[in-house]
Amino acid sequence: MKLYSLSVIHKGATKANLLKAAYDLSSFSFFQRSSIQEFMTFTSALIVERTSQGSRASVKEQEYLCHVYVRNDNLSAVVIADTEYPQRVCFTLLDKVLEEFSRQVDSIDWPSGSPETITYKALDIHLSKYQNPREADAMTKVQAELDETKIILHNTMESLLERGEKLDDLVAKSEHLGNQSKAFYKTARKQNSCCEIM
Amino acid sequence: MAESEEEVDVLVQRVVKDITIAFKRNPNIDEIGVIPCPEARYNRSPIVLVDNKLGVESWCVKFLLPYVHNKLLLYRQRKHWLDREALVDITCTLLLLNPDFTTAWNVRKELLQCGVLNPERDLYLGKLALTKFPKSPETWIHRRWVLQQILRQGHSRKQEQGEAEHAEMSQQLSDHLARTLHQEMKVCCDAACRYPSNYNAWSHRIWVLQHMAMGNIKVFHDELSSMRLWVSMHVSDHSGFHYRQFLLKELITELSQTQASTTITTTATTDSPQHCPNSLHHHGHSQANGELSGAEAGEEARQLSFTTVLQLFHQEMELCSDLIQSFPGHETLWSHRRHVFYLWHHWRKEHQLHCSSNGGSESVSVKDGDPGLQTVSAQSCAGRKCGESLNGQRNASEAMEVDGVSLPDPRDSKRLKRGVLLPDPPTLPSEYSFVSSILDKCCNPEQRRFALAYKKWLDTVIGQQP
Repeated sequence: MKLYSLSVIHKGATKANLLKAAYDLSSFSFFQRSSIQEFMTFTSALIVERTSQGSRASVKEQEYLCHVYVRNDNLSAVVIADTEYPQRVCFTLLDKVLEEFSRQVDSIDWPSGSPETITYKALDIHLSKYQNPREADAMTKVQAELDETKIILHNTMESLLERGEKLDDLVAKSEHLGNQSKAFYKTARKQNSCCEIM
Repeated sequence: MAESEEEVDVLVQRVVKDITIAFKRNPNIDEIGVIPCPEARYNRSPIVLVDNKLGVESWCVKFLLPYVHNKLLLYRQRKHWLDREALVDITCTLLLLNPDFTTAWNVRKELLQCGVLNPERDLYLGKLALTKFPKSPETWIHRRWVLQQILRQGHSRKQEQGEAEHAEMSQQLSDHLARTLHQEMKVCCDAACRYPSNYNAWSHRIWVLQHMAMGNIKVFHDELSSMRLWVSMHVSDHSGFHYRQFLLKELITELSQTQASTTITTTATTDSPQHCPNSLHHHGHSQANGELSGAEAGEEARQLSFTTVLQLFHQEMELCSDLIQSFPGHETLWSHRRHVFYLWHHWRKEHQLHCSSNGGSESVSVKDGDPGLQTVSAQSCAGRKCGESLNGQRNASEAMEVDGVSLPDPRDSKRLKRGVLLPDPPTLPSEYSFVSSILDKCCNPEQRRFALAYKKWLDTVIGQQP
């Protein structure tokens, strides 16, 4: 049961803008961590771009689950977890983070902000606290509040893409992924291995 | 770069040397890995050392691996001579890149037997290989071979010693073994975290306990309690739960023997926490109890280990219920429940027989028929059932309180006498009511399916038995 990343993103007209992110990549091999971090950022932004306003979704990719919540005001958050981690707790976390974030950071800064300019420090604390879902606050409390049937479920990343679009192309085109990460993506893709990549 | 054969030769020899130097310079390397890097950059060594992590750039692997592989095979076929030092270096490089290459481990076994390598160094190499390949069967197999060497060494050294040195020597030895045992547990735990349901790591862990800590109740108790958090965070890791089942079974067998014979063995419930956590050979290091006479002491011990067994079952079922309710839809948890209940069911039957064959002098009530217990559990079952439809949550917590009252404080268990309420053991009715409470409040389809399967299992397997 593990949470790997938690990010707050603003969904713009065409692009998603990363505002703040926290990572826990301690379970990955040391030399892969930087590439994995880039991929988590890339994936989180992509998912926000492809999710419509005011909706919640969970996207399954190999043994990972990416949970996303895009609010009506375009403020969004994504948490990447393993498949063991309870979905319900992830959405509680997203709700909580977005509410807190929107209280602390002025909405004028959302479209143009970046992790360097935004001062919101609680993300790392939330990520580490929620590693153990039972210690994080009252797991059971929110059960009734969230209508699980309204969460859209995608079984692969590919199902988020438009017709004719390919994940490989998006990776190759991305400005945010370094050469090492692209090489890493290619090898992992070839081996189709788990634990190696998102 | 490095296309011609000669160039490859030079390159590879340099890389093997770089790896050897890296290990010499930094004895604290704790992880190895491959750095994705399709082409060589500048004229730099592909070996990188950061923060005690040793990385190999991926472009050189395709030169390095076939080269060291062939060299070792030629040596094995006696077509190419390598001195011992070269053998050590080449097998090290080879095994870090491909730890399932049995021949290389075998060469190292020979080197170890003629004293060129020491066992600790091989355990270390294996540990590093497991950071990149946490399942690697050959690495685990070699590890067990090395551990057996260590155990055998210790054994023969013990016999060589005279009487006077014996005590000090065996203390040193058992300290050494305790450290090794501790290290093995750590290695297994790391590998289990790196790869889910890592069967090889968990069965190695079982092997280690069986060969290095048999009969040592303290170690088993410690393992059981330290595993508690781990399984709570890995609720679909069947291998982890299987390990827990092994611990439980061994502890219960051991405690039941205590119960049958009348030796007093220290258990975790009476052990002071300051007790050296790693000291081996605890078993037979009986607790001297001056206050009690033989027969009384025997009686006390029987009662104590009986209570401990009951407590173990009770706590395991509580843990299991808690996890099933918190994390719906994991089959691993349900099959763990089955296993524990089955274990309990058989233990109870066996001991019912055992007690009556003892002339019935033992009134410690293992039987279902104990009126006090039966009513308590029946009442709480009924309570659970009717309240569930209103509010499952509230009822679960009530049930917990009832259990809490009946569970004696572990520190008091020494003073426990007949007639004090023992921990609530699981019963068939309490299991049925657990299942129906899940079915009543849970709409997760997987969870419902597992609950129904468990009910069916209770009906057919447990219910049918006399």
